[in-house]
Amino acid sequence: MEKIKTLKFSELENLLEGIQKPGRYVNHEVGTKSKDISKIADFSSMVFMALIFPDIYEIGMPNLGLPILYEIINKIKYFSAERVFSPWIDFEKKLRDRKVKLFSLENRIFLDCFDVLGFSVQHEMLCTNILNIIDMSGLKIHSKERGGRFPLVCAGGPAVVNPQPLSKFMDFMVIGDGEELTIKILEKVKTYKKSSKGKLWFLKEISKLDGVYVPGLYKFYYFKDGKISDIKPFLKVKKETVKDLNKFDIVLNPVIPNIKPVHDRFAVEIMRGCSRGCRFCQAGIIYRPVRQRNVNSLIENSICGIKNTGYDEISFMSLSTADYKDIGCLLEGVAGFMNLNKISVSLPSLRVDSFNLHLAELIGSGRRTGLTFAPEAGSQRMRDIINKDISEEEIIDCIKVAFKNGWEKIKLYFMIGFPFEEDEDIEQIVLLIKKITNTAKDALPKRNFRRFKINVSINAFCPKPFTPFQWVGQDSTGSLVKKFNYIVKNVPKKFVQISWSNPQASKIESALSKGDSSVGDAIEKAWRKGAKFDNWTDMFSYKIWEEAFKESGLDINFFATREILPDEILPWDIIDIGTSKKFLFNEYEKSRKCSRVQNKI
Amino acid sequence: MKNQENAAGFKIRFKFYKKDEYKYLSHLNIVNIITRALRRAGIKTKYSCGYRPKPKINFSNPTPLGVDSFAEYCDVVILEDIEECEFLSAVNLELVPQMMATRAKKIDIKSASISSDISVCLYCFELDAASSTVNFINEFTESVKNNIKSKSDFSSSIFDMMVKTSNENIIFVKLYGYVKIFKNLNNEIFKFNNFLEFFQNWIKKYNIINISYIKKEEIYIFKDNTLKTPMEII
Repeated sequence: MEKIKTLKFSELENLLEGIQKPGRYVNHEVGTKSKDISKIADFSSMVFMALIFPDIYEIGMPNLGLPILYEIINKIKYFSAERVFSPWIDFEKKLRDRKVKLFSLENRIFLDCFDVLGFSVQHEMLCTNILNIIDMSGLKIHSKERGGRFPLVCAGGPAVVNPQPLSKFMDFMVIGDGEELTIKILEKVKTYKKSSKGKLWFLKEISKLDGVYVPGLYKFYYFKDGKISDIKPFLKVKKETVKDLNKFDIVLNPVIPNIKPVHDRFAVEIMRGCSRGCRFCQAGIIYRPVRQRNVNSLIENSICGIKNTGYDEISFMSLSTADYKDIGCLLEGVAGFMNLNKISVSLPSLRVDSFNLHLAELIGSGRRTGLTFAPEAGSQRMRDIINKDISEEEIIDCIKVAFKNGWEKIKLYFMIGFPFEEDEDIEQIVLLIKKITNTAKDALPKRNFRRFKINVSINAFCPKPFTPFQWVGQDSTGSLVKKFNYIVKNVPKKFVQISWSNPQASKIESALSKGDSSVGDAIEKAWRKGAKFDNWTDMFSYKIWEEAFKESGLDINFFATREILPDEILPWDIIDIGTSKKFLFNEYEKSRKCSRVQNKI
Repeated sequence: MKNQENAAGFKIRFKFYKKDEYKYLSHLNIVNIITRALRRAGIKTKYSCGYRPKPKINFSNPTPLGVDSFAEYCDVVILEDIEECEFLSAVNLELVPQMMATRAKKIDIKSASISSDISVCLYCFELDAASSTVNFINEFTESVKNNIKSKSDFSSSIFDMMVKTSNENIIFVKLYGYVKIFKNLNNEIFKFNNFLEFFQNWIKKYNIINISYIKKEEIYIFKDNTLKTPMEII
C-alpha cells in the first residue's frame, strides 16, 4: 500500500503559535467533501488532486470555479479533491524555518503526496505565488526537473489562455471550462497511476483531449528581435466548452468558510459568457458562447442553497447579469422567500443601461447594498471605440431611478489609457462624474445628503490576449499618471472618493499576460528576489520586477507597451479560443474608425 | 406573519463548546458560524427593527484565540416555541464535532443579556509534573497563593485561584478571573494573554513542570453573594 504523509494536528498546533488568523489553516468547515483517508484501504486505485488557489483563504474561498470542481471530483468515489491556499507570509516563514512542507486543508496531506496539483489562475499577478507554492511543496519549480511520475502539476483559469509565461513550470495546462475536462483528465491519471508508463506517455495521452495544452510537446522559434518566427508543431489546442450549463447543477452545498471571506454570500452563476463584445474585455471573448441557466431550476436551487448554507446574502453572478433573459422572472421568483427571511440579493456586474425601475424595486425590497456602474469611458467617442454600448443619457436616467428608490451608494468604474485616447476623453470623465454627482444630489432626499458618497475606481487599461486590442501597446506609466492626476484634481472632492490601480503594476500585468515563455524567466527571477502576493498593493515591488526582467535579458516594454504588428505570430496563437484572429483584427480596425457596429456571435 | 414579528417571542439560552480546530476561530467567526447554523436549522430568529435588521442573538464574552472552551453561551430570541431538546438536536445537526451545543434552556424574555451579566470566568491550566513529590506540590501551591494570587500585577483581577493535583502527576491550576468591574471591589478585568505570558515565565523556575493544556471551563454570574453558572441562574 502506498503511503500518504499528513501533518498531525498536534504538529499544526505547534506551527500555529503566534500566527495571524490561524483559522485560515484549520479544517472542518461545514460542507467539506474530501474522502476520509483513514478509511481508504488501497491508495493506488485512488486519485488525489489538490485544488490550489494561489492567494489567501479569504480571497480564494469566494471564487466560483473551485467549488464546482471540488464538488464534481469528490462526487466520484475513487477521486478526492482537497483545497490549498497560499499561506500568509508569517505562516510561510514558520513552515520554511521548521522545514515543514505545505499541506492541504482537509486531511493536511503534504502536497508532494498528491497525484495532481491543479492551480486556479484567475489573474497574472498570481504567478509568483504559484512558484512559491510549488517550491514550498518540496518540488522543483521547472517541469523538466521534476523527475518522478507524480505529482503532475497543471494550471487552468482565465489567466492561462496565454499559457506561455507559466509554460516552463507546468506539466500541462487546461484551457476553457473544467466541468467535463477535469474528470476526463483524472480518469487518464487513474489509468496512468495503475500502469508503469512514463510521464511523457501520460502527457501525450491527455494532449489528445480538447482543452489540454502540454508545453513540452511544442517548440517555439524566435527572430533575433525576440518576435516568434515559428511554432512546431503548429497544432492548435481547442478550448473546451461545456455546451449546456444545465447539465451541472449549481453547487448547493458548498464549503462554508469559517473565517470571513472577502465575499461572504451564496453565489449563483446564472449565465456564462457575455454577448456585449467590449473590445478591451478578455472575459467577453474567452467565455463565449453565452450560455444561460434554466430559470426555474435557478429559482429552486437558489432557495435550496440559502436553506443549506444559512447565508443572509445571495448573489447572482455572470459577466453581465442584466442580460440574463429571465432576470426579472428570476428575481420575482426568489423575492418572496428572500424578503421573508431577510436575505439580501446582490447583482454584481449589473449593466447600467439595462437597469430599470422594475429591477430596482425587486432587489431594493430586501436589504440595500451599493450599486456599481461601469461606464468605462467618459466620452461617447471613446465608448464607441471600446464598443461599450451605452449613452450618457442612459447612465443619468438610471442613477435618477436608483436614487429615487432609496439607493445611496454608487461605485463607478473607469479605465484610462485606451487606444486612440485624447485629452478630451479624459476631460469627459471628469464631466461625467460631475453630472452623475449632481443628478444623484438632486434625486436624493436632503436628510441623506451628509453620508452621500460616490466611489470612483480608475484602472489603467491592460491590453489582453484574445481581445481586439491585443495588438495595442499599453499607455506609458508617465502618461497614465498625468491623466489620473488631472482627474483627481478636477472632480468634486466633497462627494467623490477616488481609488486607482498602480500603473507600474498594470505594466507588469500587461507583460505577464502577453508574454512568451521567456517571461517565465523573469517570473522565476522576481520570485527568487522575494516577489509574492503581487496583487497586494503593499506587497508589490516594481523594482524587483524591473531587475528581474533586466537580468533575464528582457525588456518589459517589448511585451507591455510595444504595438504588435498585424502579421506577427503571437505567443497564444497555439490556442484556438473559438474566435478567429481575423474577427479580432476587424474589430480593432473598426475601433480605429470609432465604429460601434459588431457582428453578433 | 406580521403578528409573529411583533410578538415578544421566546428566549433560549444554550451552552456550547469549541475545541481542537475550532479554538483557532475568533469570536466574530464563531458568531457567524452559530448564526448560520441557526438559520440552517430552520429556527426562526427574531430580528431587530430598523434599516439593517439584525438577528437578536447575544453571546457570552470572547474566549482567547487558541484556548479550548467548554463554556460558550448564547441567548437567542426565537419566534416559534420549541422544546429545549428539539432545539438542541436541530442545532447540533448543523454543527461539527469540534463545536456543539450541550444544553439549552428557555429563559425569561426580559432577562438581562448574558454578556453584561457575566462576572467571573474560570480557566484551567493543566501542568505536566511527572516527576514531582508531595513536598514539591505543597511548595508550589503555597507559591501560587502567595506570589500570584496576592502579590502579582494580576492580583486585583483574580477572584480566586486554586491548585489541585491528580494521581497522574498532573497539576490543575484553576483561575477565576474577573470579566466585569465591581465598584465596591476595586477590581480589574482579567487579561488572559498578559497573564499567560507572565505565567509561562513564572513557572520556568520549576524545571519539572510545563503547561500541557489550557481550557476555559465555566463562566459565572454573581448572585446573592455566590457564583452561579448562567444555566443555574434561570
